Amino acid sequence: MRAASLPGEVLGARDRDSDEELLSRARAGDPEAFRVIFDREAPGVRRFLGDLLRDDAGADEGTQETFVRAHRRLGTLEQTGKLQGWLFGIARMVFLEQIRRKRRESPMPEPAEDFSRTDCGPSPEAMLLSLESDRMLDGALADLDDERRSALLMRIDHGLGYGEIAEAMGWSLQKVKNEIHRARLQLRARLAGYLEEGAR
Amino acid sequence: MTHPAQEELEAVALGQSGDPKDAEIEGHVKGCTDCSRELAWLRAERTLLRRRPLLQTAHLWPGVAARLEHPRRRTHWAWRIAVASGVGAAAAAVLFAVLRPGPLPVTQPQQSARRERSAIDPKTLAALDRAEADYRNAAKVLEGEYDRLRPRLDPELARRWDETLTRARAQLGASRAVAADDVNVRMRVLDGYAGYLRSLRDLLQESEEANP
Repeated sequence: MRAASLPGEVLGARDRDSDEELLSRARAGDPEAFRVIFDREAPGVRRFLGDLLRDDAGADEGTQETFVRAHRRLGTLEQTGKLQGWLFGIARMVFLEQIRRKRRESPMPEPAEDFSRTDCGPSPEAMLLSLESDRMLDGALADLDDERRSALLMRIDHGLGYGEIAEAMGWSLQKVKNEIHRARLQLRARLAGYLEEGAR
Repeated sequence: MTHPAQEELEAVALGQSGDPKDAEIEGHVKGCTDCSRELAWLRAERTLLRRRPLLQTAHLWPGVAARLEHPRRRTHWAWRIAVASGVGAAAAAVLFAVLRPGPLPVTQPQQSARRERSAIDPKTLAALDRAEADYRNAAKVLEGEYDRLRPRLDPELARRWDETLTRARAQLGASRAVAADDVNVRMRVLDGYAGYLRSLRDLLQESEEANP
Protein backbone atom coordinates (compact mmCIF):
# COMPACT_ATOMS: atom_id res chain seq x y z
CA MET A 1 0.00 0.00 0.00
CA ARG A 2 1.51 3.32 -0.91
CA ALA A 3 1.89 6.25 1.39
CA ALA A 4 -0.86 8.84 1.47
CA SER A 5 -0.19 12.51 0.87
CA LEU A 6 0.76 14.28 4.03
CA PRO A 7 -1.74 16.84 5.32
CA GLY A 8 -1.48 20.03 3.34
CA GLU A 9 -0.04 18.38 0.25
CA VAL A 10 -1.71 18.66 -3.13
CA LEU A 11 -5.21 19.49 -2.09
CA GLY A 12 -7.89 19.13 -4.71
CA ALA A 13 -10.79 21.56 -5.03
CA ARG A 14 -13.08 19.52 -2.78
CA ASP A 15 -10.36 19.38 -0.12
CA ARG A 16 -10.41 23.11 0.34
CA ASP A 17 -13.83 23.16 1.99
CA SER A 18 -13.61 24.08 5.66
CA ASP A 19 -14.33 21.56 8.40
CA GLU A 20 -17.30 23.68 9.41
CA GLU A 21 -18.87 23.63 5.96
CA LEU A 22 -18.20 19.93 5.49
CA LEU A 23 -19.66 19.05 8.86
CA SER A 24 -22.71 21.12 8.19
CA ARG A 25 -23.26 19.30 4.88
CA ALA A 26 -22.54 15.91 6.40
CA ARG A 27 -25.05 16.53 9.18
CA ALA A 28 -27.61 17.44 6.54
CA GLY A 29 -27.08 13.98 5.03
CA ASP A 30 -24.64 14.76 2.21
CA PRO A 31 -22.61 11.53 1.81
CA GLU A 32 -19.97 13.23 -0.34
CA ALA A 33 -19.17 15.67 2.48
CA PHE A 34 -18.60 12.82 4.92
CA ARG A 35 -16.46 11.09 2.30
CA VAL A 36 -14.23 14.20 2.14
CA ILE A 37 -13.94 14.21 5.93
CA PHE A 38 -12.95 10.56 5.76
CA ASP A 39 -10.34 11.22 3.07
CA ARG A 40 -8.81 14.02 5.11
CA GLU A 41 -8.83 12.47 8.54
CA ALA A 42 -8.66 8.71 8.02
CA PRO A 43 -4.88 8.49 7.39
CA GLY A 44 -4.19 10.16 10.76
CA VAL A 45 -6.76 8.03 12.57
CA ARG A 46 -5.36 4.89 10.92
CA ARG A 47 -1.83 5.73 12.00
CA PHE A 48 -2.98 6.52 15.54
CA LEU A 49 -4.78 3.17 15.78
CA GLY A 50 -1.86 1.36 14.15
CA ASP A 51 0.49 2.79 16.77
CA LEU A 52 -1.86 1.78 19.57
CA LEU A 53 -2.95 -1.63 18.37
CA ARG A 54 0.24 -2.67 16.57
CA ASP A 55 -1.92 -4.81 14.33
CA ASP A 56 -2.62 -3.66 10.78
CA ALA A 57 -5.83 -5.60 10.30
CA GLY A 58 -7.13 -4.39 13.66
CA ALA A 59 -6.17 -0.81 12.83
CA ASP A 60 -8.00 -0.99 9.49
CA GLU A 61 -11.13 -2.32 11.15
CA GLY A 62 -10.77 0.21 13.97
CA THR A 63 -10.55 3.05 11.46
CA GLN A 64 -13.72 1.91 9.74
CA GLU A 65 -15.50 1.52 13.08
CA THR A 66 -14.35 4.98 14.17
CA PHE A 67 -15.88 6.64 11.11
CA VAL A 68 -19.10 4.65 11.29
CA ARG A 69 -19.53 5.79 14.91
CA ALA A 70 -18.48 9.34 14.04
CA HIS A 71 -21.17 9.48 11.36
CA ARG A 72 -23.82 8.38 13.85
CA ARG A 73 -22.68 11.02 16.34
CA LEU A 74 -22.11 13.97 14.03
CA GLY A 75 -24.79 15.91 15.86
CA THR A 76 -22.90 15.67 19.15
CA LEU A 77 -19.81 17.54 17.91
CA GLU A 78 -20.35 21.03 19.25
CA GLN A 79 -17.18 22.80 18.14
CA THR A 80 -16.28 22.07 14.55
CA GLY A 81 -12.71 23.26 15.12
CA LYS A 82 -12.20 20.21 17.31
CA LEU A 83 -13.00 17.61 14.67
CA GLN A 84 -9.64 15.84 14.82
CA GLY A 85 -9.60 15.58 18.62
CA TRP A 86 -13.19 14.35 18.59
CA LEU A 87 -12.34 11.63 16.06
CA PHE A 88 -9.32 10.59 18.11
CA GLY A 89 -11.56 10.33 21.17
CA ILE A 90 -13.81 7.91 19.29
CA ALA A 91 -10.78 6.03 17.94
CA ARG A 92 -9.47 5.68 21.47
CA MET A 93 -12.74 4.10 22.62
CA VAL A 94 -12.61 1.70 19.68
CA PHE A 95 -9.03 0.85 20.59
CA LEU A 96 -9.91 0.23 24.24
CA GLU A 97 -12.72 -2.12 23.23
CA GLN A 98 -10.41 -4.08 20.92
CA ILE A 99 -7.64 -4.26 23.49
CA ARG A 100 -10.01 -5.40 26.25
CA ARG A 101 -11.21 -8.15 23.99
CA LYS A 102 -7.63 -9.20 23.24
CA ARG A 103 -6.61 -9.11 26.89
CA ARG A 104 -9.53 -11.29 27.87
CA GLU A 105 -8.20 -13.81 25.39
CA SER A 106 -4.51 -13.53 26.39
CA PRO A 107 -3.72 -11.40 29.46
CA MET A 108 -0.40 -9.55 29.30
CA PRO A 109 1.65 -8.17 32.20
CA GLU A 110 1.72 -4.38 32.63
CA PRO A 111 5.06 -2.86 31.59
CA ALA A 112 7.21 -1.65 34.48
CA GLU A 113 8.22 1.99 34.59
CA ASP A 114 11.93 2.67 34.34
CA PHE A 115 13.11 6.25 33.99
CA SER A 116 16.56 5.56 35.41
CA ARG A 117 18.40 6.24 32.19
CA THR A 118 16.60 9.38 31.15
CA ASP A 119 19.36 11.84 31.83
CA CYS A 120 22.26 9.80 30.66
CA GLY A 121 23.25 8.22 27.39
CA PRO A 122 23.42 9.38 23.78
CA SER A 123 22.05 12.61 22.38
CA PRO A 124 18.78 13.08 20.49
CA GLU A 125 20.85 13.96 17.42
CA ALA A 126 22.47 10.52 17.57
CA MET A 127 18.98 9.07 17.75
CA LEU A 128 17.89 10.77 14.54
CA LEU A 129 20.97 9.66 12.68
CA SER A 130 20.81 6.06 13.80
CA LEU A 131 19.85 3.70 11.00
CA GLU A 132 17.79 1.71 13.46
CA SER A 133 15.85 4.66 14.83
CA ASP A 134 12.47 3.71 13.38
CA ARG A 135 12.73 0.23 14.85
CA MET A 136 13.87 1.69 18.18
CA LEU A 137 10.98 4.14 18.18
CA ASP A 138 8.57 1.32 17.47
CA GLY A 139 9.95 -0.72 20.37
CA ALA A 140 10.01 2.24 22.73
CA LEU A 141 6.41 3.17 21.92
CA ALA A 142 5.34 -0.43 22.44
CA ASP A 143 6.74 -0.32 25.96
CA LEU A 144 4.53 2.57 26.98
CA ASP A 145 1.27 2.04 28.79
CA ASP A 146 -1.65 2.22 26.30
CA GLU A 147 -3.26 5.35 27.69
CA ARG A 148 0.03 7.16 28.06
CA ARG A 149 0.99 6.21 24.53
CA SER A 150 -2.35 7.57 23.26
CA ALA A 151 -1.80 10.94 24.90
CA LEU A 152 1.79 11.25 23.76
CA LEU A 153 0.93 10.40 20.14
CA MET A 154 -1.98 12.82 20.08
CA ARG A 155 0.38 15.55 21.23
CA ILE A 156 3.56 14.91 19.26
CA ASP A 157 2.49 12.99 16.19
CA HIS A 158 -0.88 14.61 15.57
CA GLY A 159 -0.29 18.03 17.14
CA LEU A 160 -3.42 18.14 19.32
CA GLY A 161 -3.48 20.75 22.10
CA TYR A 162 -3.54 19.74 25.75
CA GLY A 163 -7.18 20.82 26.05
CA GLU A 164 -8.22 18.70 23.07
CA ILE A 165 -6.35 15.71 24.49
CA ALA A 166 -8.05 16.20 27.84
CA GLU A 167 -11.44 16.06 26.11
CA ALA A 168 -10.53 13.08 23.96
CA MET A 169 -9.14 11.11 26.91
CA GLY A 170 -11.70 12.26 29.48
CA TRP A 171 -8.88 13.45 31.73
CA SER A 172 -8.15 16.65 33.61
CA LEU A 173 -5.67 19.05 32.02
CA GLN A 174 -3.20 18.34 34.80
CA LYS A 175 -3.42 14.62 34.25
CA VAL A 176 -2.74 15.11 30.53
CA LYS A 177 0.39 17.10 31.36
CA ASN A 178 1.58 14.54 33.90
CA GLU A 179 0.98 11.57 31.64
CA ILE A 180 2.66 13.16 28.63
CA HIS A 181 5.62 14.13 30.78
CA ARG A 182 5.94 10.59 32.13
CA ALA A 183 5.52 9.12 28.66
CA ARG A 184 8.34 11.32 27.39
CA LEU A 185 10.69 10.32 30.18
CA GLN A 186 9.94 6.68 29.59
CA LEU A 187 10.30 6.98 25.82
CA ARG A 188 13.63 8.75 26.10
CA ALA A 189 14.95 6.25 28.61
CA ARG A 190 14.08 3.42 26.24
CA LEU A 191 15.54 5.17 23.20
CA ALA A 192 18.76 5.98 25.06
CA GLY A 193 18.98 2.38 26.19
CA TYR A 194 18.66 1.11 22.63
CA LEU A 195 21.32 3.50 21.38
CA GLU A 196 23.73 2.46 24.09
CA GLU A 197 23.17 -1.20 23.29
CA GLY A 198 23.78 -0.48 19.63
CA ALA A 199 27.03 1.34 20.37
CA ARG A 200 28.50 -1.62 22.26
CA MET B 1 15.08 35.17 31.16
CA THR B 2 14.18 32.29 33.47
CA HIS B 3 13.79 28.81 31.97
CA PRO B 4 10.74 28.66 29.71
CA ALA B 5 7.89 26.35 30.72
CA GLN B 6 7.84 22.88 29.19
CA GLU B 7 4.76 23.78 27.16
CA GLU B 8 6.47 26.83 25.71
CA LEU B 9 9.45 24.75 24.60
CA GLU B 10 7.07 22.18 23.20
CA ALA B 11 5.17 24.77 21.18
CA VAL B 12 8.48 25.94 19.68
CA ALA B 13 9.50 22.35 18.87
CA LEU B 14 6.13 21.57 17.28
CA GLY B 15 6.16 24.85 15.36
CA GLN B 16 2.77 25.73 16.87
CA SER B 17 3.48 28.86 18.81
CA GLY B 18 4.04 31.72 16.36
CA ASP B 19 4.33 33.84 19.46
CA PRO B 20 6.64 36.91 19.56
CA LYS B 21 8.06 35.29 22.69
CA ASP B 22 9.55 32.54 20.52
CA ALA B 23 12.62 34.63 19.69
CA GLU B 24 13.20 35.23 23.38
CA ILE B 25 12.89 31.50 24.08
CA GLU B 26 15.23 30.59 21.22
CA GLY B 27 17.72 33.15 22.59
CA HIS B 28 17.54 31.59 26.03
CA VAL B 29 17.93 28.10 24.62
CA LYS B 30 21.17 29.04 22.85
CA GLY B 31 22.81 29.90 26.13
CA CYS B 32 21.22 27.21 28.33
CA THR B 33 22.51 23.64 28.13
CA ASP B 34 19.48 22.10 29.85
CA CYS B 35 16.88 23.86 27.72
CA SER B 36 18.95 23.28 24.59
CA ARG B 37 19.01 19.53 25.28
CA GLU B 38 15.32 19.48 26.11
CA LEU B 39 14.42 21.30 22.89
CA ALA B 40 16.67 18.95 20.90
CA TRP B 41 14.84 15.96 22.41
CA LEU B 42 11.45 17.49 21.69
CA ARG B 43 12.42 18.13 18.08
CA ALA B 44 13.93 14.66 17.69
CA GLU B 45 10.74 13.02 19.02
CA ARG B 46 8.61 15.03 16.65
CA THR B 47 10.86 14.27 13.67
CA LEU B 48 11.01 10.56 14.44
CA LEU B 49 7.25 10.27 14.68
CA ARG B 50 6.26 12.51 11.83
CA ARG B 51 8.71 11.35 9.22
CA ARG B 52 6.89 8.05 9.02
CA PRO B 53 4.72 7.97 5.89
CA LEU B 54 0.94 7.99 6.29
CA LEU B 55 -0.80 4.97 4.78
CA GLN B 56 -3.49 5.19 2.14
CA THR B 57 -6.93 4.54 3.56
CA ALA B 58 -9.18 4.89 0.49
CA HIS B 59 -9.63 1.10 0.36
CA LEU B 60 -11.36 1.29 3.75
CA TRP B 61 -14.09 3.62 2.53
CA PRO B 62 -16.33 1.04 0.78
CA GLY B 63 -16.74 -0.80 4.09
CA VAL B 64 -17.63 2.42 5.88
CA ALA B 65 -20.02 3.50 3.12
CA ALA B 66 -21.76 0.14 3.16
CA ARG B 67 -22.27 0.27 6.91
CA LEU B 68 -23.59 3.81 6.73
CA GLU B 69 -26.18 2.71 4.19
CA HIS B 70 -27.37 -0.15 6.35
CA PRO B 71 -26.43 -0.85 9.98
CA ARG B 72 -24.45 -4.05 10.51
CA ARG B 73 -26.22 -7.30 11.26
CA ARG B 74 -25.09 -10.90 11.01
CA THR B 75 -22.43 -11.92 8.52
CA HIS B 76 -23.47 -14.52 5.95
CA TRP B 77 -21.44 -17.73 6.35
CA ALA B 78 -20.40 -17.77 2.66
CA TRP B 79 -18.60 -14.44 2.95
CA ARG B 80 -16.92 -15.65 6.10
CA ILE B 81 -15.45 -18.63 4.31
CA ALA B 82 -14.10 -16.57 1.40
CA VAL B 83 -12.64 -13.89 3.64
CA ALA B 84 -11.24 -16.38 6.15
CA SER B 85 -9.44 -18.34 3.44
CA GLY B 86 -7.73 -15.20 2.15
CA VAL B 87 -6.87 -13.94 5.60
CA GLY B 88 -5.55 -17.35 6.65
CA ALA B 89 -3.28 -17.55 3.63
CA ALA B 90 -1.94 -14.07 4.24
CA ALA B 91 -1.32 -14.84 7.90
CA ALA B 92 0.67 -17.88 6.85
CA ALA B 93 2.75 -15.78 4.46
CA VAL B 94 3.39 -13.13 7.09
CA LEU B 95 4.42 -15.79 9.61
CA PHE B 96 6.67 -17.37 7.04
CA ALA B 97 8.32 -14.04 6.17
CA VAL B 98 8.81 -13.13 9.83
CA LEU B 99 9.76 -16.46 11.36
CA ARG B 100 12.00 -17.91 8.67
CA PRO B 101 15.69 -18.33 9.58
CA GLY B 102 18.07 -15.51 8.75
CA PRO B 103 18.00 -11.77 9.26
CA LEU B 104 14.66 -10.04 9.51
CA PRO B 105 13.76 -7.71 6.68
CA VAL B 106 13.81 -4.34 8.41
CA THR B 107 13.12 -0.90 7.08
CA GLN B 108 16.17 1.31 6.74
CA PRO B 109 14.99 4.77 7.75
CA GLN B 110 16.57 7.86 6.25
CA GLN B 111 15.94 11.54 6.67
CA SER B 112 14.04 11.55 3.39
CA ALA B 113 11.85 8.68 4.67
CA ARG B 114 12.90 6.80 1.56
CA ARG B 115 12.90 3.04 2.03
CA GLU B 116 15.63 0.76 0.88
CA ARG B 117 14.60 -2.56 -0.57
CA SER B 118 14.94 -5.62 1.61
CA ALA B 119 16.64 -8.70 0.27
CA ILE B 120 14.11 -11.39 -0.52
CA ASP B 121 14.71 -15.11 -0.77
CA PRO B 122 12.80 -17.33 -3.20
CA LYS B 123 10.84 -19.16 -0.49
CA THR B 124 9.54 -15.92 1.02
CA LEU B 125 8.70 -14.65 -2.43
CA ALA B 126 6.78 -17.85 -3.18
CA ALA B 127 4.86 -17.57 0.11
CA LEU B 128 3.94 -13.97 -0.64
CA ASP B 129 2.88 -14.92 -4.17
CA ARG B 130 0.67 -17.72 -2.83
CA ALA B 131 -0.94 -15.44 -0.25
CA GLU B 132 -1.59 -12.78 -2.84
CA ALA B 133 -3.10 -15.35 -5.22
CA ASP B 134 -5.37 -16.61 -2.43
CA TYR B 135 -6.45 -13.07 -1.66
CA ARG B 136 -7.17 -12.45 -5.34
CA ASN B 137 -9.22 -15.65 -5.52
CA ALA B 138 -11.18 -14.68 -2.42
CA ALA B 139 -11.77 -11.23 -3.90
CA LYS B 140 -13.03 -12.84 -7.14
CA VAL B 141 -15.56 -14.92 -5.19
CA LEU B 142 -16.84 -11.87 -3.38
CA GLU B 143 -16.84 -9.70 -6.51
CA GLY B 144 -18.85 -12.44 -8.25
CA GLU B 145 -21.38 -12.36 -5.43
CA TYR B 146 -21.57 -8.60 -5.70
CA ASP B 147 -22.20 -8.85 -9.47
CA ARG B 148 -25.02 -11.28 -8.71
CA LEU B 149 -26.64 -8.94 -6.18
CA ARG B 150 -25.96 -5.71 -8.02
CA PRO B 151 -29.01 -5.70 -10.39
CA ARG B 152 -31.28 -5.69 -7.35
CA LEU B 153 -29.62 -2.68 -5.78
CA ASP B 154 -30.72 0.89 -5.96
CA PRO B 155 -28.93 2.20 -9.13
CA GLU B 156 -27.45 5.23 -7.37
CA LEU B 157 -26.16 3.08 -4.50
CA ALA B 158 -24.72 0.57 -6.97
CA ARG B 159 -23.02 3.37 -8.90
CA ARG B 160 -21.38 4.71 -5.76
CA TRP B 161 -20.21 1.27 -4.68
CA ASP B 162 -18.88 0.55 -8.17
CA GLU B 163 -16.92 3.76 -8.00
CA THR B 164 -15.41 3.04 -4.59
CA LEU B 165 -14.54 -0.55 -5.51
CA THR B 166 -12.92 0.58 -8.76
CA ARG B 167 -10.88 3.12 -6.85
CA ALA B 168 -9.80 0.55 -4.27
CA ARG B 169 -8.81 -1.91 -7.00
CA ALA B 170 -6.83 0.76 -8.85
CA GLN B 171 -5.02 1.63 -5.64
CA LEU B 172 -4.19 -2.00 -4.96
CA GLY B 173 -2.94 -2.42 -8.52
CA ALA B 174 -0.76 0.67 -8.24
CA SER B 175 0.66 -0.48 -4.89
CA ARG B 176 1.39 -3.92 -6.30
CA ALA B 177 3.09 -2.42 -9.37
CA VAL B 178 5.62 -0.52 -7.26
CA ALA B 179 6.11 -3.29 -4.68
CA ALA B 180 8.42 -5.35 -6.91
CA ASP B 181 10.41 -7.67 -4.61
CA ASP B 182 10.43 -5.57 -1.45
CA VAL B 183 9.18 -7.75 1.42
CA ASN B 184 7.91 -4.84 3.50
CA VAL B 185 5.95 -3.34 0.62
CA ARG B 186 4.63 -6.73 -0.43
CA MET B 187 3.33 -7.31 3.09
CA ARG B 188 1.61 -3.94 3.04
CA VAL B 189 0.00 -4.90 -0.27
CA LEU B 190 -1.39 -7.96 1.55
CA ASP B 191 -2.75 -5.62 4.22
CA GLY B 192 -4.39 -3.69 1.40
CA TYR B 193 -6.02 -6.87 0.10
CA ALA B 194 -7.23 -7.68 3.60
CA GLY B 195 -8.88 -4.27 3.84
CA TYR B 196 -10.41 -4.67 0.38
CA LEU B 197 -11.85 -8.07 1.33
CA ARG B 198 -13.33 -6.69 4.52
CA SER B 199 -14.90 -3.87 2.56
CA LEU B 200 -16.34 -6.32 0.05
CA ARG B 201 -17.65 -8.50 2.85
CA ASP B 202 -19.41 -5.56 4.49
CA LEU B 203 -20.77 -4.37 1.19
CA LEU B 204 -22.19 -7.80 0.33
CA GLN B 205 -23.69 -8.18 3.73
CA GLU B 206 -25.47 -4.86 3.40
CA SER B 207 -26.55 -5.63 -0.18
CA GLU B 208 -28.10 -8.87 0.90
CA GLU B 209 -29.87 -7.30 3.83
CA ALA B 210 -31.15 -4.45 1.67
CA ASN B 211 -32.52 -6.97 -0.87
CA PRO B 212 -33.22 -10.23 0.94
